[in-house]
Amino acid sequence: MNYNWNWGVLFEEQYLSWLISGFGWTISVALSAWCIAIVIGSLVGVGKTVPNKIVRGICATYVEIFRNVPLLVQMFIWYFAVPEMLPEDWGHWMKRDLPNPEFVTAVVALGLYTASRIAEQVRAGIETVPPGLSAAATAHGLSTAQTYRYVLLPISFRIIVPPLTSEFLTVFKNSSLALTIGLLELTAQSQQIAEYTFQGFEAFTAATVIYVCIALVATILMQVLEKYTRIPGYVGKEA
Amino acid sequence: MIDIENISKWYGDFQVLTDCTTQVAKGEVVVVCGPSGSGKSTLIKCVNGLEPVQQGRISVDGDDVTAKGANLTALRSRIGMVFQHFELYPHMSVLENLCLAQEKVLKRPRAEAVARAEKLLARVGMADHAAKFPSQLSGGQQQRIAIARSLAMDPIAMLFDEPTSALDPEMIKEVLDVMVELAQEGMTMMVVTHEMGFARKVADRVIFMDNGAIVEDRQTAAFFDNPESERAQDFLSKILDH
Ligand SMILES: Nc1ncnc2c1ncn2[C@@H]1O[C@H](COP(=O)(O)OP(=O)(O)O)[C@@H](O)[C@H]1O
Ligand SMILES: [Mg+2]
Repeated sequence: MNYNWNWGVLFEEQYLSWLISGFGWTISVALSAWCIAIVIGSLVGVGKTVPNKIVRGICATYVEIFRNVPLLVQMFIWYFAVPEMLPEDWGHWMKRDLPNPEFVTAVVALGLYTASRIAEQVRAGIETVPPGLSAAATAHGLSTAQTYRYVLLPISFRIIVPPLTSEFLTVFKNSSLALTIGLLELTAQSQQIAEYTFQGFEAFTAATVIYVCIALVATILMQVLEKYTRIPGYVGKEA
Repeated sequence: MIDIENISKWYGDFQVLTDCTTQVAKGEVVVVCGPSGSGKSTLIKCVNGLEPVQQGRISVDGDDVTAKGANLTALRSRIGMVFQHFELYPHMSVLENLCLAQEKVLKRPRAEAVARAEKLLARVGMADHAAKFPSQLSGGQQQRIAIARSLAMDPIAMLFDEPTSALDPEMIKEVLDVMVELAQEGMTMMVVTHEMGFARKVADRVIFMDNGAIVEDRQTAAFFDNPESERAQDFLSKILDH
């Protein structure tokens, strides 16, 4: 094999700026999607545990649909199919006037998909809380909403920090699928560098290193969070 | 004060409570005993509406608990409840455990809630532990805090569900002492327990349950000296023997 190593291309101004821009989009998509996912995932996860059967049914359906349809298919649906299915003016607006449609679509698709996974974690976390605790809260006169707000959620979120860490890492990795709808995030930019320079190995090594660094930082952040929120001596129901 | 009239309750096809009727007067202490699974916990959970009943009526201080649309949260905030497994909020310090419902349900200002909490912690001998977390304390200490947490709501009556049966023997007394003191101060109490020493000492009446029904409901001395039913005699001989 006759491969011309040239790590220098990565530091040429044009390609370096592509990498940086790709990195920026990856972070933006992942973090925005994460925010949507946490909010919707928490609501849907709580919804799966409330007494009301209709609410539970709706939330369970949400989880089944968004968790089981492959993320790539969901990206395509949001990008190509949804604008066609909406009333005409909305569809037009999405195709022509929506600023940055690839970015918005990627965030929505990734956010709603990740929400379904977080919802399952939240539900599992709530179910780990011994039922006697919510009975005690109720017995002291706390409403259902207050019981969730002050007792169930604070305990279950602490329990699910470790599984959430892995979801958090996954959201960065999954953000690479946004390249299929044309968003020039990190993977797409590396591919582009490879095509322009024929230095594919260097380009993808750079992407790999950046993804690994993101994962490291994310893991450290979550560990700090875990340490900071740990309940002294508490291990939950299985204790 | 607590009026239980002909209540029956089912879990699906299974009848847990069968036509139970009893009253607890203001300042009265009533002990509920009976074999495991006889419906004691279910009965006292019905009193503050933690469990719904399908038949009959319960009222507390004149308010109907079993009525449709009863304001249960307001009513519950006036009835203290202590559980077998303490059920302290594990993510909160002892002080916060005592303040939560005071602030969120009674809307007491923070300073007032803290003052009330500190006073009650001192009363159950836990003043030095306000900043600790429940899991850093022994079972007996946790249960005393759970009692203080209920008292912080200034309840008109207290319900206890086997408050000492999850405790190591050497801790039972410290919890019973707090309960005896409460009883002597005139608190209205309904206590599910197998501590017959406690019953003899402070109970005005003893209720014996079996199979979801109230089999005996007697003055304390009468219950211990000559229980009427065979089942109660049998039960007493078993628990007094060891
Ligand atoms: N949530 C429930 N669903 C079905 N059966 C229950 C439930 N709670 C209690 N039971 C049943 O009701 C009966 C009475 O329970 P309980 O009131 O806890 O008895 P005790 O406190 O006297 O031991 C038991 O047979 C128990 O298995
Ligand atoms: Mg019981």
